[in-house]
Amino acid sequence: MGFEAFTFILMSGILLGGLYALMATGLAVVWTTLGVFNFAHGAFVTLGAYMAWQVSQSVAGGFGFLIAVATSVTVMFCLGFVLHFALIKPFERNQNVVLLAVVSTLAAASIIENAVLLNWGPRDKQIAPPITSKIDFFGASINTFDFVILGIALFALFGLALFLRRTTVGRTLRAAAQNREAAELMGLNVPKLFAITLGLSAATAALAGVFVGSLRFINPTFGADPLMKSLIVVILGGVARFTSPIYAAFVVGIVESFSAYFLGLYWSPALLFAMMIAVLLIKPEGLFGHRSKTL
Amino acid sequence: MKYAPPFQRTNGFLPVLIVFVILLLAPFVVTETYSRHTLIIVFIYAVLASNWDLSLGYGGIVNFAHLGFFAIGLYTYAIFAKVIGIDPWLALLLTPLFAVGFAILLAIPILRLEGIYVILVTIAATQLLQQIVVSQSTYTGGTSGMVLLPRLTIGDYNLSSDNRIGYYYVALGLMAASTFFLYKLERSAVGRAIKALRDNKYYAISRGVSEARTRLLTLSLSAIFPALAGGFYGSYLRVASPDVFGLGFLTTALSVLLLGGVATIWGSLIAAFVVVGLSQLLADYGAWRNISIALVIIGVVVVYPGGLYAALQEIWSGFDRAKTNLIAAFRRKAGAADRARAMGIRDQLIETSHGKVSVCDTRSGEQTIIFIHGNSSCKEAFRHQFHALRDQYRLVAFDLPGHGVSPNADPEKDYNLAAYAQIVRDLVDRLKLGTPVVFGWSLGGYVALEYAAAGNPISALAICGTSPVRTYPDDIPKGYIASPHMELAGKRFHSPFEKGQYAKHTIGLPKQSEPILWQAVWRTDGQAREQAFAKLKTTNWQRQMRVIREGSVPFTMINGSKDPFINHTYCASPEFNTAASGKPITLDGVGHATFLEGPEGFNAVFRRFIQQQ
Repeated sequence: MGFEAFTFILMSGILLGGLYALMATGLAVVWTTLGVFNFAHGAFVTLGAYMAWQVSQSVAGGFGFLIAVATSVTVMFCLGFVLHFALIKPFERNQNVVLLAVVSTLAAASIIENAVLLNWGPRDKQIAPPITSKIDFFGASINTFDFVILGIALFALFGLALFLRRTTVGRTLRAAAQNREAAELMGLNVPKLFAITLGLSAATAALAGVFVGSLRFINPTFGADPLMKSLIVVILGGVARFTSPIYAAFVVGIVESFSAYFLGLYWSPALLFAMMIAVLLIKPEGLFGHRSKTL
Repeated sequence: MKYAPPFQRTNGFLPVLIVFVILLLAPFVVTETYSRHTLIIVFIYAVLASNWDLSLGYGGIVNFAHLGFFAIGLYTYAIFAKVIGIDPWLALLLTPLFAVGFAILLAIPILRLEGIYVILVTIAATQLLQQIVVSQSTYTGGTSGMVLLPRLTIGDYNLSSDNRIGYYYVALGLMAASTFFLYKLERSAVGRAIKALRDNKYYAISRGVSEARTRLLTLSLSAIFPALAGGFYGSYLRVASPDVFGLGFLTTALSVLLLGGVATIWGSLIAAFVVVGLSQLLADYGAWRNISIALVIIGVVVVYPGGLYAALQEIWSGFDRAKTNLIAAFRRKAGAADRARAMGIRDQLIETSHGKVSVCDTRSGEQTIIFIHGNSSCKEAFRHQFHALRDQYRLVAFDLPGHGVSPNADPEKDYNLAAYAQIVRDLVDRLKLGTPVVFGWSLGGYVALEYAAAGNPISALAICGTSPVRTYPDDIPKGYIASPHMELAGKRFHSPFEKGQYAKHTIGLPKQSEPILWQAVWRTDGQAREQAFAKLKTTNWQRQMRVIREGSVPFTMINGSKDPFINHTYCASPEFNTAASGKPITLDGVGHATFLEGPEGFNAVFRRFIQQQ
């Protein structure tokens, strides 16, 4: 393997890592705040991608892509906000909340996937990337758009982190995640904050979906893979800090692109799952953190 | 001690028998292939979901690799029957071996993890399994799977011929065997260990339940029948494809399980018919089918987390309550003369703060004695006392709400010791009973203690067939002799056999001589039994003990030497027998209802006790 190929694989791994970071952070934020795993996260990615595709069909050009991103992210935020009241809030006080939420979000994923199938049909689609030029990067020829995606993804994560740390809403949200009862006693509207969390998670999923949709083909069931990858990332990284799943996302992305090169396409997911089980056995709290449940 | 009657003596026996016979005869009516196919798929999902319930519902292990057992069964069958080419039946029998092996491997990480991590590791394990299957395309056919798997045959007879009648009966047999296995397992020592570990892990461990072994057993035992179902599925559809790892199978099986209700075997079986039936019914609607099924699932988990089985129980309970209430209303009029003959006086309905109660009051006499009957009984239990003591005392007895000829009441508010004690107080006020002597039998003994403990007017207190409780629930096994019939006291639904057993042990006299009391067992609102027992834990037992210890109220215990429930040694402990009360009085040769079985001896003792005061 030459240096050029190495750079290429590394860069594609890093790009994957950026996308995984975006998806996994959405999942991790919901897990740490609401205390449930959202199995509709993959469907959020799918729906976000399809909405962006729809808008970019009607508005052409680079400007159209921006509008598509903005529409998709906004609509998905609203959808996530509303879905909290249908999928998770009803079982908040139930002792089986984790299991019931798994079921309700799986059902929601099925509804979204089938609605996408009904509306857009089963055929593969691709969002036209707004930038098609390539640049030379240490000898490897890499799409300029890849760098843009990586940049936007990291910027979005940075923005989310700032939002959680610096704004009043973000801080109350973290307070509600850390101690729900105390937050309620202080007069915070916890259901609304939780709904905002699911909305933010859906919005990041949509953003990831748009990027995936402009890199690869999308179809109604393509969200299953991002969901599994996000699960792996969250487990590998843990949720001790906001950044834990982000680091893990890059590890997973790089491992995936190298194992796909050396072991083949079929073995690279198996390797990731084996890694995940090993981490769960040896360090269940994740590679990048200690066992706790805070943002 | 666990009360586990043989299945043919429980309430479930008849419905299960009827359904089984219907399913056995169904192929003679349902002759076309498609309906039979639907039923076969129903049976497969019923096996999958009810066995999943073993680990998820009873064991509390949220195992999302359950479909992996099914997939392993399917691929084991496919590889052994097609690639290696052994007899299909033998291949089918081999399937549990590999699934149990996978279950053992799975148990290793699960043992170390809890909660959501179990879900995640099991999902990962399934994915890993899928990747292995897909990557070994030489043996498994990779992503496209294997087709034309060998069919099951008996001799030369193809089970698929005659519109699949052979497969129908094999599938039905598989479901019946799996259900029998689960039913027996749940009632065995292993089943109890599994549930104990779920309900209170550390207590179970401290009582000698091995966590590692039990969890390993739970997973292994839950793998056997799904693997057989998987092998059977392969032989039936003749296809093994990686689709079995997909979300479709998982969602359907999980929705069957949750729709039916966790920790109930029957719920899964019922829900399999509903979910698979619905899904076959909507088969022509494509995506709309999946959407509507998902909406039904969300609707059920949001509105009715207990599932269909709980809903059925609720309906049955409502029916039972309406029935018992109707019986009470009917007997209030129709049986009035019989009761008046038994008691020597007619009863009347009196309004209290906890509903109307039927009261017998002799109205004359200086000193009043109030009699409180026990669980699932009625005021006519005291008929001998009403005849013997009415010349000297004013006697009052009443039917607790939901008992005898009193109407049913609100289960949440009215069926507990505090409510019953308040009813006594209301009667004292309304009928102007002064400071009565209160006598309580069995559950009524606790009502009497509670009445005294609440600081109500009382001149003396006697209990019969009741062990005082210092701390609940620790003293229950000390105060009573563990007996299967103790469990019946708090059970909502009794089968006819159980009603008979309960009546026999509490009344102690045959049905011919005590028809009213025996009828009362049949009439009692099941909710009254369940609620009164469930709410014992909210009672202030220390307050009751203070009444006994301080001796401010003259107190005695009168028990029968042959009482099947009472632990006499416990009752004789000095704590309950202060200088004022003396030792508990034991009447020879009588059982739980001393005053009914040996009225002369009881009346003499009871009269002496009252006259001493």
